[in-house]
Formats: sequence, C-alpha cells, structure tokens
Amino acid sequence: LVDESMPKQRSHRQIPEGYNYTEYHPMEEIYKWMTQIQESNSELVTQHHLGKTIENRTIYYLQISQPSNKPKKIIWMDCGIHAREWISPAFCQWFVKEILQNYKSDAMIRRFLQNLDLYILPVLNVDGYIYSWEAERLWRKNRSPYMNGTCYGTDLNRNFNSSWGSVGVSYNCTSEIFCGSGPESEPETRAVAQFIEKKKTDILCYLTIHSYGQYILTPYGSTTTPPSNNEELMHVAQKAAAALMGKHGTSYKVGSTSSILYSNSGSSRDWAHMIGIPFSYTFELRDNGTHGFTLPSDQIQPTCEETMLAVTTIIDYVDQKYFPGGAVMLTSGSLSLSLL
Amino acid sequence: MQGLGAALPVLLLLLLSAQLPRPAVAEQPPWAPGVERALDPSSRLAVGAARVALHNYNFHAASPSGLRALGQVRKATVKSIPGVGQKCYLQFTTEDYRSRENAGSCLATVLYPKKKSPPAVNIKCINTKDQKQIQEEDNRLYQKLKRQTKPITGSNIPDSFGNIEPALEPVWALAVAGSSYMMWEKSTEKVGYFMTQVKSVKQWMRKDDSLEFDYVILLHEMPTQEMISCHMRLIWLPGHPLKVKYTCDSENHRLEDGSGMESGSAAGIIREREENF
Repeated sequence: LVDESMPKQRSHRQIPEGYNYTEYHPMEEIYKWMTQIQESNSELVTQHHLGKTIENRTIYYLQISQPSNKPKKIIWMDCGIHAREWISPAFCQWFVKEILQNYKSDAMIRRFLQNLDLYILPVLNVDGYIYSWEAERLWRKNRSPYMNGTCYGTDLNRNFNSSWGSVGVSYNCTSEIFCGSGPESEPETRAVAQFIEKKKTDILCYLTIHSYGQYILTPYGSTTTPPSNNEELMHVAQKAAAALMGKHGTSYKVGSTSSILYSNSGSSRDWAHMIGIPFSYTFELRDNGTHGFTLPSDQIQPTCEETMLAVTTIIDYVDQKYFPGGAVMLTSGSLSLSLL
Repeated sequence: MQGLGAALPVLLLLLLSAQLPRPAVAEQPPWAPGVERALDPSSRLAVGAARVALHNYNFHAASPSGLRALGQVRKATVKSIPGVGQKCYLQFTTEDYRSRENAGSCLATVLYPKKKSPPAVNIKCINTKDQKQIQEEDNRLYQKLKRQTKPITGSNIPDSFGNIEPALEPVWALAVAGSSYMMWEKSTEKVGYFMTQVKSVKQWMRKDDSLEFDYVILLHEMPTQEMISCHMRLIWLPGHPLKVKYTCDSENHRLEDGSGMESGSAAGIIREREENF
C-alpha cells in the first residue's frame, strides 16, 4: 500500500537544496528552513514574527501570498501545538514545499492563490518541540514553570478562551491536560489568539494539525451542541476524508470532537469557530495507535501526500464558495470592453 | 485576637478554593434499561469498546505474528443492563497491527461493569490470513529468540524516530500482546489505552522451553493524555496462553469529574494472570 512515487521535481531553484522533507527536523533546522524558503521564494513567501515563547524563543509563521492588487481572504494552518506530535510540523513543511513547487502548474492551487493568502505556522509550541528532541520525546505541553519551578507545562490546546477550564481538563500542573492559570495564560496562546483576533474578519478557514488517530474533527469539544454550520462543515470534511483515502487507502473518521474523540474545553479550534471563523478543523494525522506519536519516518511521505489532498480539498471548497464564477474576477472595465 | 486576625484570610482562601468549580466530565443521558439502541459507529463508545475487544483478542491469541489493530466499526449497539452495566454489541474490521493490511472482521460484545472491574469480552474474528502461516511465523520468531545465548536487552523501542531494530521486533510484538492484557483490564467506557513504547526490556533465561521477559512499558492513556509506566513480566511459549504479571505506576492524574477529588490510587497493585509464575 506504500506509494513509491517521488514528489514531482519542478524548479529545484525554489526549494532549499537538499532539504529532506521525509525526515524529522529539529527546531534549529526548521528555523533555517523558514529563512531559506523565504529567500528562495521571496516573490511569494514572507516570514513573520508572531510572538515569543515562555522561554523567549521566536514563533514565526510563513505567509504565502500571490502579489495582486486584489484584497485576499486568509487560510490559517498551525502545526506543532503539542510537542510530541512530530508528524504535524513535518506536514506543515511539506505543505509549503508542495505549494511552492506546484503553484504555477497546478490549476487548483493557481486558482485559490488568486483569492486566498496562506498563513502557515510550522511550529507553534517551539519550546516543547525542542524539549521533545533534547529531553523527553513524549512531552506534550509548553515549558511554562508553575509552583516555583517544580512543575512545568500548560496544554496549549486547553488554554484558549473557549469555555476555558470547564470540561476535559485538569487544574493540576502535573497533568498533561493542565489548562493553565487562566484562559490565554500562556504567551504562545496569546501570540496566536491576538493575531487571529486581529485578522478574523478575513480568515475563512482555521486548520490545526495534530497526531495521532486519523480524524478530521469539527467543532466542538467543549459542548455537544453542534455549530451553526455543522452540515456544511461535515460535508466538506467528508469530502476531504474521501480525497485522503483515495491516495493510500487510509481511513479517517469524521465528526465533532465531543462525539468521536472526547470532551475538552479551551481548544484553539473551538475558539476559532466561536469568534466567527466558519471553516475550523482539527486534523489528527497517522497512525491509529501502532506507532502513535513515534511515527516512523518512512511514513512521512505517504502521510503528507494524503493529508495534502484533504487540506487542498477544504481550501478549494472555501475558495469556490467565497469566490465563485471562475478564476478571473471581471472588473467592470474589462466587462464593458468585452461587450463592445 | 491577633492570631484570629491572621487566620481569617487564610480560612477565607481555603473556603474559596473549596468552592472553585471543578471541570465537568460530559454526562451520558440516562437510557431506558434493557433497550438495545443503535450507536454511531464513529462514536467514542463504539470505537473504544472495539479497541477493548481487540486488546482481549490480542492477549488471548498470544501470537506476535497475529496481532490486530482496529480498522473500522461497521455496526454498534448498546444496552444498559440495570445493576450490571453497559453492554456493547459490535461489528468491526481489523488490520494487521504492523502492515495495516486487512485482517478480517470481528463480532464482539463488551460489557462494562458498573463496579470497578475489567470489561467482560466475547469476540470472534474471521481470518483473512492463513492461521497455519501465522503459527509458522510465530514458531520462526520463537526459534530466532531461543537461539540467543545471551539475555536479550533493549530500550526505547521504538526509538524517537519510530524505528524498531529488526532483531528486536519480536520482542516488541510480544510486548504488544502482553500489554493488551494490561490495557484490557484497565479500560473503562471513559478511559482507553494504546501501547506507546517499550522503555526497557530484559530477558530472564529459563531452563524450560518458555521465553521470559521483563518489561517497562509506556501506555498512552486517553482522554487524560498521560503516559502510564507499567512493569510487566511475560512468559511465552507458542501455542500456549500468554502469562502476564504487571504493576502500573499510581495514577494521580484524575480528570475532574465533579463528584469530588479522588486521591491517587494505591501504587504497586500486582495483577497476576497465571499462578506458579
């Protein structure tokens, strides 16, 4: 069931030479990669400072934006909110690479880049990710000190201001699902929340990538009450899961977090939907428990390939919904010309 | 008087902290007893129960080459039995634990008892793989391990990058089979497990034909997300039931459930499967 095909090699110029997307990379290499990606694709990519972590490291996101005088809407995707879920940052890097390699040749990518800017955050929980490389592979939370430095880490995905602290959390710092001392108590949470809040009227889609379990999860985790656009959210998620399955036969479950996974409050995805971002999804990537967080690197490529199809299905749907009627938006000037 | 003045704010603080709301655990609506109702096959109750059934299967099969993982739940119903517990009826597909190849479907019932005790499982599976072939593979694994003259040891299997040394694969597969016993016993409607890693393994050389291993295993507990460390002693002889003895670290991370704080459970509870270990 393993697809042996190599990713299409388009312009080697665009992609940092020799960067291996089928390997896991430590944070130092990811930082370097972001700089290189911007340098080799400066017409499309800019690197931005989002904020700082509790240990004072910088959180960067990449903005992929086709130059245009049109106002664009935004697709946001973050990876690595939980340190041990290494396949997640691997996917964000893969996604950027795929877009940059194919945006000239792939009609769907070309179409949506005319209307949408992609904001990709490869590693949200930088401190935690580094800690999982250097100290404890199965670390989950950030590295915020509590109780006079005797206990570390808030679960960033319980720390957002979405029914914070109400269900599926612990108030004890020793727990893996410690929700912090209050909503947005953590600098990483604040960095993301403040940015998204500022841009929320332009953000159509919020995607957050996790592992493992093979799910596409819709709102909410904090309540079983379905979101206002539940039918559409489910329909698009089913489409995405079907596209994903078509690649390597991997089956994903689709549904609300509270019904198919567990109840939890303070998740970023719940918060994004609650502040008005219509298409908000959590992805839980491979596998189904055999390897769990330590997914072997020979599964990076097939996982990323299939996930790419799911994510682009969602982006394409959003693009067609909000920018209907063909890739080129006729201005009144060109319309009158064509009528002569 | 002075002492009282100092004590009052402290008392107030204590009172206030006792009043702090506790995070809730989602409640299930009460259903009519004895009525079998359909479950969404994707629901966590259905999927969780299917996993529990498979833990039971994997333990009883005692076959490192015949381990199964959950494919998809096709049909699920549940019945509430008053005074006894909840019983799930399931039909699901399975995959080979390693290769993800289709391994055939299963029918199972899982009874979660009201009182704290392991779920009662009944499971029957179809085999797409030839059973003789599986037995032969088990025997091959057994022979390979038996040939070792020095005690086998290992740690961090898989490693941080998901790699398992080929020579240690059988030892890992045995750990999955043995862990299935622990995971089956510990599962409830609300709490489930996955075997994450063999932290360490050491072989105890035996004079008889059986293979004996001492493991430290990490189990991923859901929904708490905790990594539970368990010490497991396992004895294997192909064609015979697996013998497992284990003790898991005390779980002092409890999901707040609104019914009062539970203190950490007693550590070092040893559960034996077979006597005369």
